[in-house]
Amino acid sequence: MAGNDKKSKNFLVSKIGGQQLIVLGVIVALFAFFCIKSDIFRSYTTILSMLDFSYFVAFMAIGVTFALITGGNDLSIGTGMVCYGIIGGFFVTKLGLPVTVGFVITILCGVLMGCFNGFLVAILELPPFIATLSTMMIARGLGSIVTGGSSITWPADAWFKNIFKISIGEAKYPLGFVWVVLAVTIMTIFLRHTKPGRYIIAIGSNKEATRLSGVNVIKWHMLAYIICGMFTGFAGVAYSATFPTIAAGSGAGLELDAICAAIIGGTSMYGGSGTIFGTLLGVYVMSILKTGLPLIGLQANWQQIITGIVLLVAVFIDVVRGKKN
Amino acid sequence: MKKKVLSALLSVAMVATLLVGCGGSKEEAAAPAPEATTEAPAEEEAAAPEATGEALHFEIVSKGLQHEYWQAVKNGCESKAQELGATINFVGPASESDIQPQVDMLNAAVEANPTAIGLAALSTEACMDAIIEAQSQNIPIVGFDSGVPGAPEGAILANAATDNYNAGVMAAVEVFNLIKDKLAAGAVIGVMCQDATGESLINRGLGFIDKMAELVAAEGLTVTVQGNDKYVSDSKVEVTEGADVTLEVKVPASVDNTASANDATALLQTPGIIAIYGSNEFSANNLVTADGNIGKLGKEVVGAGFDSGETIIAAVRDGRLAGAITQAPVAMGEKLIEMLYAAANGETVADVDTGCQWYNAENIDNPEICQNLYGYTAAE
Amino acid sequence: MGEVILTMKGIDKSFPGVHALDHVDLEIRKGEVLALMGENGAGKSTLMKVLTGIYKKDEGTITYEGKEIEFENPSAAQEAGVIIVHQELNMLSHLTVAQNIFIGREIMKGSMIDDAKMNEEAAKLFKKLNIDIDPAETMGNLTVGKQQMCEIAKAISHEAKVIIFDEPSAALTETEIEELFKIIRDLRDKGMAMVYISHRMDEIKAITDRVTVMRDGTYVGTIITKDSTKDDIINMMVGRVIYEDPKTQSNVPKDAPVVLKVEHLNAGKMVKDVSFELHKGEILGFSGLMGAGRTETARALFGADPKDSGDIYINGQKVDIKSPQDAVKYGIGYLSEDRKRYGVVVGKTVAENTTMATMEKFMKGLFINKKKEDEVAWTHVKALKTKTPTVDTEVVNLSGGNQQKVVIAKWLTRDCDILIFDEPTRGIDIGAKSEIYTLMNELVAQGKSIIMISSEMTEVLRMSDRVIVMCEGRKTGEIDISEATQENIMHMATLRK
Repeated sequence: MAGNDKKSKNFLVSKIGGQQLIVLGVIVALFAFFCIKSDIFRSYTTILSMLDFSYFVAFMAIGVTFALITGGNDLSIGTGMVCYGIIGGFFVTKLGLPVTVGFVITILCGVLMGCFNGFLVAILELPPFIATLSTMMIARGLGSIVTGGSSITWPADAWFKNIFKISIGEAKYPLGFVWVVLAVTIMTIFLRHTKPGRYIIAIGSNKEATRLSGVNVIKWHMLAYIICGMFTGFAGVAYSATFPTIAAGSGAGLELDAICAAIIGGTSMYGGSGTIFGTLLGVYVMSILKTGLPLIGLQANWQQIITGIVLLVAVFIDVVRGKKN
Repeated sequence: MKKKVLSALLSVAMVATLLVGCGGSKEEAAAPAPEATTEAPAEEEAAAPEATGEALHFEIVSKGLQHEYWQAVKNGCESKAQELGATINFVGPASESDIQPQVDMLNAAVEANPTAIGLAALSTEACMDAIIEAQSQNIPIVGFDSGVPGAPEGAILANAATDNYNAGVMAAVEVFNLIKDKLAAGAVIGVMCQDATGESLINRGLGFIDKMAELVAAEGLTVTVQGNDKYVSDSKVEVTEGADVTLEVKVPASVDNTASANDATALLQTPGIIAIYGSNEFSANNLVTADGNIGKLGKEVVGAGFDSGETIIAAVRDGRLAGAITQAPVAMGEKLIEMLYAAANGETVADVDTGCQWYNAENIDNPEICQNLYGYTAAE
Repeated sequence: MGEVILTMKGIDKSFPGVHALDHVDLEIRKGEVLALMGENGAGKSTLMKVLTGIYKKDEGTITYEGKEIEFENPSAAQEAGVIIVHQELNMLSHLTVAQNIFIGREIMKGSMIDDAKMNEEAAKLFKKLNIDIDPAETMGNLTVGKQQMCEIAKAISHEAKVIIFDEPSAALTETEIEELFKIIRDLRDKGMAMVYISHRMDEIKAITDRVTVMRDGTYVGTIITKDSTKDDIINMMVGRVIYEDPKTQSNVPKDAPVVLKVEHLNAGKMVKDVSFELHKGEILGFSGLMGAGRTETARALFGADPKDSGDIYINGQKVDIKSPQDAVKYGIGYLSEDRKRYGVVVGKTVAENTTMATMEKFMKGLFINKKKEDEVAWTHVKALKTKTPTVDTEVVNLSGGNQQKVVIAKWLTRDCDILIFDEPTRGIDIGAKSEIYTLMNELVAQGKSIIMISSEMTEVLRMSDRVIVMCEGRKTGEIDISEATQENIMHMATLRK
């Protein structure tokens, strides 16, 4: 393990020279800027809220990074996340099953949708954009059908809500951040130091050359989407833990937050390169902007424009990098 | 790309809600009608023309089905329809921004040649062609909820609607009674609205803002309003520098829980904050969510909501929200069907205010109230 | 020999860390074909990019038609009549020939494009050049050769005075090359100045008047083509003498066992009833013209493309190969003709590419044993003399020859007994070429067997123990190296049905 740590550090040092170091700098600068500009921003509760609202984006973003690395995309994660949370909650509130079962169902739904996306992209070879655009719509409708169009409120005392935020006395701690960091660590090791991770990157870099090396590209390509789906399931759990009521048919647009985060974090839209750590950084750039901009009195539409510009810059860096290669 | 995503989304949302709509009408038809009409959704188009004159069929196009509010309206419609021996088909788009899908639904409703149509238009302009088509076929249209604002004379027979401005006024009066003692120079009252485009939402906000300003001024304090431009400019309140009491209006960049909860987090931590009003379920939910990390609601800060749902009801019960306004969606549904029935029989119909109520921990279990609360379960 | 139209003098260009051009001279004359030669990386392309304004020169002068000029960008160069016909064709395959030729300067009728008029103009142009192409044909339906001619026609229609051909023959068949040469000679007689960049010595001898040689970014010299021999040119390019003697006798013992037997292989339109045997320790050359179905045969054999029928035996055992995975399992390795697309994963490191086909050998539980991976990669780097700073260098940074060595290392790690080399030295400079040859000879000496697909006759004659010739998807000949000559192979390669 020590060896691996050292390697990943070497890796970071070699790669961090690029986009990630910039993004880290951007995070520090933004954080400092908002702290200076707004009293409310520097309060512990604001930071706590910011973290609360970042877990589901972080899980989605980790997942979608895998789809992006294969050179694809997954647009179904936003509506999917909401849909899985609703279906899980439906089993608990309407059918009276234990919370744990609903929890498992939520994640399972994500995995199943991942399998379906993988089937469409890896086996039927549909363009990922269109394939997942379709499943995005399917997910959106599916949640509404299951609940008959109404929203779902998970039980307020569902146990998994406590694994994201723990209260000790009066104080509350963002335990969810620990899970996010853990997920980032595990998936980084997975991506860099295991065979499936290696193949997923290779597929994004050059699928045909990988296939001609005797690698079962269909299997590993599918796996990338299954991982994406599984993490969307996790996101569904986190979303359900954060927001008490989930409206059926909502969630469209949230996938863009996650995809933006991954791209800001240095994942290439051309596939073949990206890091989970970078994605996490991207998530927090988005979170800080989303929390901070309203606090400095910027009106809603300007917030979106600024977020758009940040994404443009990130995409521009990616394109420049792509040209260099 | 976003445009593409959007338009594709719109079209699918339509399909999704159609599915939901069909499923719904199957259920509702199952109970009262004989087996033959139960199959209505599939054969509607073919069956409708010959059925006219005998079986009454109403097409109802709502603004969406994603909020439980609409489910309550639907419930009201269904029970009344059953009572009057009519069949209904209750549909609505996936979200309140799906204007085009709603127009398609309205077209389909006209196509189905029903006895009458109930309509809560997302955009009057977009619906106009279909409304004219309905007129030419002599299908009466009755508006409900926010109705069909700005429709030309005679296009809509009448509206069964909550007067949203009055509802906002009612919220202001109730909240004012709770904060009267805390009013002082430097006090801030927060107003959270989901958006600045929907007429009914804007009215709920404006009703609150105008009335609250009036009440505060009556106490001898100066008031100003700041925040979202639309609300600031449409309110009757003069913007004044250095006023004693500030009304702070927050509207998130998009209908996104995170953005709204961020607004609430900021409001709750604003120095001098004494009350926050969330003008619909979305806003009130996120107010409660944000308070989870702060714990000021029901203590330093008076919270008030609008509509219901499990989260709001729970918060009202345990005092985090001092209370909330509920419209009377069940009554609205019932009134709507009554009006459609009357219109179908050639009677004249007039506008009806379906009313609203303030509910709090004390009166929540009152049957008059709780029948209108979706997500309500009796206290143990 | 005509007057000088364009002179480049003392051209100097540096990129960060690389001195790409070191005071290079070049002189182009009217009515002449000038060959520009040099190994890969000698600076030919850079020089042409400086000429056409893609790069800015650091020093030196360019004189064109008596005036000192510097083109701002390629379209300025085009405007002035200096045009490059690229190796990779810049054609829009969904548009028609005429639409391609007039792209960016469409002939208009009012606000509408006048396609009829454009077809007419294109037809006139083709007639002038003696090219037989229908201007209304969709570009994608033409052969590469015809497309190239369209590109030339396009250049002429721009009133070109200087045309630069960048490896024009790389994708052409012999016949197409002949047609191309006819056009070039025709243009030369009309006084056009041309620069011809190519690796192929035969073509240089056949078509050019003078040869300018570059090496490592410097100008080596210019010689008259007909007064010099192939070896003269090669010596100038590499600075050392290389002899390309054909093999005269097979090195395979008569009783060497058959390791691979293919019977009646059919796959798509390009592989029709192909049967052959491969012996242990043999290099089996596959010769033929472009489009003869050699690569398709190899891909079907390897499971990269589906086959329709046919049996494959390995060491006498019948095997069922449905995918590259199966082929790899049976010890077959495939080195693609198009390395960048099918051979290496360019964005990954040397080590990662080396272990791509043998991942399971480098696992420690769930994790990749990076140390072992690096060690093995280093062993191959040393053994194959791959020029790379570290095994963690991304393959994209290596030259073609070294990329090829990485692919070889991948299959050596796999311990494949049968290796298919598809155009093993395409795009590789002469020095690296002979290293690859040496390597192939070492491999067969170790008892491995090689199928070598090659379009270069000298390569086939130099390396093969036996030669199979294909034409239009069929096997049209099989000949022992002792009897093989350029003539009889070419005869078999053109045995159409």
